[in-house]
Amino acid sequence: MDAHIKKVYVPMTETGFYILLCLQEEAHGYRIVQRVEELTAGEVRLSPGTLYGSLSKMEKDGLIELVREEEKRKVYRLSALGGQVLALEEKRIERLYRNMREVQENEAR
Amino acid sequence: MKRDKQTKTEVRLFLVTQWEKEQEYLQRRHREGWKFERISGLAVYHFTRCEPEDVVYQLDYHAEGGKEDYVQLFRDCGWEYLQDFMGYSYFRKPRAAMRGDEGIFCDSASRLEMLQRVFRGRMVPLLVVFFLAVLPNLWESVRSGGEDRAVLSFLFLILFFVYLCIFLSFGWKVWQLWREESR
Repeated sequence: MDAHIKKVYVPMTETGFYILLCLQEEAHGYRIVQRVEELTAGEVRLSPGTLYGSLSKMEKDGLIELVREEEKRKVYRLSALGGQVLALEEKRIERLYRNMREVQENEAR
Repeated sequence: MKRDKQTKTEVRLFLVTQWEKEQEYLQRRHREGWKFERISGLAVYHFTRCEPEDVVYQLDYHAEGGKEDYVQLFRDCGWEYLQDFMGYSYFRKPRAAMRGDEGIFCDSASRLEMLQRVFRGRMVPLLVVFFLAVLPNLWESVRSGGEDRAVLSFLFLILFFVYLCIFLSFGWKVWQLWREESR
């Protein structure tokens, strides 16, 4: 993974993270919106302008691949590079969560 | 301004950086019972009579504007696509169809990216014209003086200030967004 990708995507925006998370399975843009709503019980709703911009950029940077077009909707899937970036983010978020718990537990004592 | 019962047209000038003002303007008209139909010419807005309604208007600046998959994604998310005009795509969605506040962008990063697209698409050409045509010509006509060039000097002076206004308003926009981002 080159330095540019790391600099742009680690850490990434919430929108970016949810896109990669969802695209472990093939999906089109609106399917991602629906999936994220389900996952977050409606708390995170992606807007089309933000989503379209992120998808275009990620496709250009090779994080996701176009699988096919389905009635004017582009269906994407995570690429190998996207998988590596997602793994990096997952590690970072796990660390954040672990640290949060550690600090909270120390304070509770 | 022309007025009859069912339609009207209005001339409004917005700088390329004033899309938020333009959105508010269209929203206001809709609340007053005038539904936006289209924009034509340089700044002619066409409206038709409608039931007053709170409808949110949003503009995106995109090279992809009008592309099928782009428009489809907005439609899927409940945004009505109206038209493309000078690089901007126009969308609207009734407030009643929303849960809470909604826009076509949901984070500052993507709002900043839109600003970058406006910069690349509109400001860069303006800057080139400004430095290669307006400034040298203004300098030349002021330096050579002479009555015969007074009109020309005046015209370039006006151009100079118009350009300055656009650049300043763009700078202001960047500053506002940057402040929002760092808050």
